[in-house]
Amino acid sequence: MSLLATRQRPPRTAPTVAPRPGLWRRIRAAKWSYAYLAPMAVLLLAFVVYPIFASFGYTFYRWNGIGEPGDYVGLANFQQILHDRIFWGAVGHTFVYAFVLVPVQLVLALALALVLNNPKLKFALFFRTVYFIPVVTSAAVVGVVIQLMLANFGDSAGSLLAKTGVTDGQIDWLGDPHTALAVIILIGIWHTLGYNLVYFLAGLQTIPAELYEAAKLDGCGPVQSFFRITIPMLRQVGVVIVVLAFIGSFQVFDLVQVLTGGGPYFATEVVNTYIYHLAFGGSPGSAAQPDVGLASAASFLYGLLLIVFSALQVLALRGIGRRRAA
Amino acid sequence: MSTLSPRLRQGRRGLLYLALFGGGLIWLYPFLWALGSSLKSTDGFFSGGLNPIPSEFHWSNYSEAWTQADFSRFFVNTVLFATGTVIVTLLATSMAGYVLARTDFPGKKIWLGLVGVTLFLPHGYTIIPVFDLIQRLHLLNTLWSVVIVQSAGGMVFGTFLFMGYFTTIDRGLEDAARVDGASFHQIFWRIMLPLSGPMLATVGLFACITAWNSFFIPLVFTLSRPELHTLSVGMFNFIGQNSTAWTLVCAGSVITLLPIVLIFVVLQRFFINGLAGAVKQ
Repeated sequence: MSLLATRQRPPRTAPTVAPRPGLWRRIRAAKWSYAYLAPMAVLLLAFVVYPIFASFGYTFYRWNGIGEPGDYVGLANFQQILHDRIFWGAVGHTFVYAFVLVPVQLVLALALALVLNNPKLKFALFFRTVYFIPVVTSAAVVGVVIQLMLANFGDSAGSLLAKTGVTDGQIDWLGDPHTALAVIILIGIWHTLGYNLVYFLAGLQTIPAELYEAAKLDGCGPVQSFFRITIPMLRQVGVVIVVLAFIGSFQVFDLVQVLTGGGPYFATEVVNTYIYHLAFGGSPGSAAQPDVGLASAASFLYGLLLIVFSALQVLALRGIGRRRAA
Repeated sequence: MSTLSPRLRQGRRGLLYLALFGGGLIWLYPFLWALGSSLKSTDGFFSGGLNPIPSEFHWSNYSEAWTQADFSRFFVNTVLFATGTVIVTLLATSMAGYVLARTDFPGKKIWLGLVGVTLFLPHGYTIIPVFDLIQRLHLLNTLWSVVIVQSAGGMVFGTFLFMGYFTTIDRGLEDAARVDGASFHQIFWRIMLPLSGPMLATVGLFACITAWNSFFIPLVFTLSRPELHTLSVGMFNFIGQNSTAWTLVCAGSVITLLPIVLIFVVLQRFFINGLAGAVKQ
């Protein structure tokens, strides 16, 4: 996708083609381009880019979010966050969430996409819809429904497992610090698998069928053509899918907020719920008083961490791509 | 493959369909359960557990949920909010995607780099400066504020999709139109936009789904005007007020989910084609 093309080439201002008309003239000649770009640019700058910088300003203040920020504290907020065990716990949980969810989900999605991409498969459209439907539903509703299902009413999942002897006694899946994160990861896999299924299907459809026919004539089995054709042809799309999947997982918020609110005892606290609790209060034990400064400092540090990780990820994936190509 | 006997092959295909249907049933189970539970009696709900089939059908749960939680108002709000978001998102991202894919102008690469970087930055906490900005624009507690902030969130993804799509369209078309004397605007509105139906459906569907399901943004920007709440926000009020009426909560979930699932089912065939178009190039 174009996202990758953008990231591979660093922005350059100098024109690459030799003599060109002057800058001012080129700007004037492109006036309609700017006009068409303007609505998107204004919305993005005002509501996405500006707030990121504005929040950076808040990191130097102790501020409850009401009125103007007044109490200047310098770098104290950063210091406090860096020494907060709950913050690092939240970073850890977010990384566990991402590093378990993404590989499992991608393998499942690719397998399902391969099956559903078979033109001879009947009801392919039906299955595609079925497996995509959780994506269409809001985390708020999913949270409520799953909580009700996991509650110990009547023949619940817990009592079924207890009866069959898999577990002893009823388990409070989301209330037990040992199981809560695992349950959230499972629900996360279920909830967003559809996206990756669709991306992989789209990617598979770009592979020309003639390649497979030629391979078949050469005596390639399905396993061989998967590794020799499908995987290499999916490489470029695959990189984008992996990057998007990680970005999505690192921003996980709704699902955790509606299922556990980060509890019990911070066992499922992810970075975004941690930041939310700092900024708006609402988590027992975290910040009694909302502190936008602390929250901004936490998200700034996390942003830095993500940028470093994303850069490493893109470099690593490009490295793999190059070695394969060579 | 070719060495397998026909019967064995048929058996394998049968197993595959069985697995797909079985997996699909598990996948949809929470929805079936919510649907079934929304029709149960309160007693039936507590004794039924994971069994989704109600012993008797209480259709009145729906009318009760609808009137008790003011769902008709939330429903209208959600439709207005989602429609507004789709229109703003489609206009802004298609125009931006077009010029980024097809024209060259100073600053284009810087802009693309910036847009790429914003993808990686955590956005959750930026709600405070956004709130501040909306307040200064005197848009607080209007549906406009919700539409604008929600649309802004979809700009990057939509623009990238349109960019990818427009790059795949044959340049000859534009050149021919230009030779015939078509202006910049005519080329975009009369040729490129009508050609981008699948991508309009894809981006529009994305925007519609995220707007319909959005919880945080409509909550924060309509805090002091409960009559502007959307379905997902309204459902949460509902839980607070009637913490024991679980069957009504289930009915509320179904009312919230059903329209967006239907829209998706109707439009979904464009979805993959649209994404495939963006991936190709």
